[in-house]
Amino acid sequence: MIMPRGQQLLLPANPFFIAFSLLLALVLNMIENVSLLGNAAWRPDFLALVLLFWSIHQPQKISIGWAFVLGLICDVHEVSLLGQHALAYTVLAFFATLIHRRLLWFSVPSQALQVLPLLVASHAISMVLRMSLGTSLVGWPMLFAPFLEAMLWPVMSVVLLAPQRRAPDPDENRPL
Amino acid sequence: MPLGTLDRTPPPFFKQGATPLHKLIFFATLSILLMFCDVRWQLTLPLRSALSLVLTPAQWLARQPQAVSMGLAAFFEDRQSSQTREEVTKQALLTQSLHASQVDELLLENRQLRDLLELKQRVNTPSLAAQVIYDAADPFTRRVILDKGSINGIVLSSPVMDEQGIVGQVTRVYPLVSEATLIIDKDNSIPVLNNRTGARGVAFGESSGAPLLELRYMAANADIQENDVLSTSGVDGVYPPGVPVAKVIKIERTADSMFARILCQPLGRAQGVRQVLVLNPVGLDEPKRPEPEVIKALIKSGAKP
Repeated sequence: MIMPRGQQLLLPANPFFIAFSLLLALVLNMIENVSLLGNAAWRPDFLALVLLFWSIHQPQKISIGWAFVLGLICDVHEVSLLGQHALAYTVLAFFATLIHRRLLWFSVPSQALQVLPLLVASHAISMVLRMSLGTSLVGWPMLFAPFLEAMLWPVMSVVLLAPQRRAPDPDENRPL
Repeated sequence: MPLGTLDRTPPPFFKQGATPLHKLIFFATLSILLMFCDVRWQLTLPLRSALSLVLTPAQWLARQPQAVSMGLAAFFEDRQSSQTREEVTKQALLTQSLHASQVDELLLENRQLRDLLELKQRVNTPSLAAQVIYDAADPFTRRVILDKGSINGIVLSSPVMDEQGIVGQVTRVYPLVSEATLIIDKDNSIPVLNNRTGARGVAFGESSGAPLLELRYMAANADIQENDVLSTSGVDGVYPPGVPVAKVIKIERTADSMFARILCQPLGRAQGVRQVLVLNPVGLDEPKRPEPEVIKALIKSGAKP
């Protein structure tokens, strides 16, 4: 991967950390649902965001197949239509692989702006699928979800890249 | 800096695997196929059960913040509010004990009368106490997850009620948990009977998503008033008869429609309910319908259906 000038060189991504972050995002989604917000439509979907992040940063490791599997798990937890999130995440990961070479050349806020349409599309797919089965609209709060997720993109970029930004040769002055 | 520590592995030139477009087509087709299996043929329950079992530890983990916060809230509750609540509970218990003593007498009387009239005795439906773990995350439906599953003896289509009335019906049973659709869900319907007039009808969940019920297909000139209490009619063979369901709160009669639009407020706490009772479906005790082959044979032999 070629990176823009002046950017810090990164350590290789640890596959265990990727798996852990995806699992943590799933649990965060569950906590949001079970303990905090119930079934509010504007809940940001952390799993979609982390999935998008890794399929842009590590497309060799996380791509469409994983998106499908995680979507199925999400469907079972949310008791939505089986395959609804799977389709939404599959499309999300596909667009992520399309833009991953270009996106990392931009600054992080600009990246957030560019992933917003992808997140909107992923939510729109869920909504269109449910409306085609005769469900009524849940109203405008649903529009908030992709915007909240896009706003979380810079936070994700800091948190999820932190292990790769550690020193390659830790010594006493730089323990991490 | 040694080179191995850098994230600079060049992408493989030839061994790229399937192209993203092919993967997209494959997995999108698979998910659409799954959706068809789910909606049209209801084939996906084993897959759902298996995945839900896998998810159980994660769900337990997700419940912990709530459990801790509820524990803290209970710990820091002040004396006055707990005393007030105890007073209210005592009052409720007093009225209920009066009712209960009357009910015993009425039951006895009812049994004797039914004996006299040679009617079939009503069976008491067995029940199971359960707890609502969480509201299902899907914002398009109104469902809750209960903490009892098929290993605890929950049966599909069991009615679910709280202390005030019916709140829903079990629509999916997994090994450890089960899923109940609330009566305010748009796709749920429940046969009801107006306690004042005895008129039967079917109440559906309100279609706009408000936590209300709608009594559909009642003629515009039907005898129905606000504050009429609707209870289960028992014709469905699922709900036991006579359990309160909802109260009529608003009747709109328009000139251009044959039917009145009747909105009802559920009596059970359809939102935010915690402790529920899962009843066995009544119909399980009834004799089974004869097999289609038997009916065909009967018709062939000249017996009237």
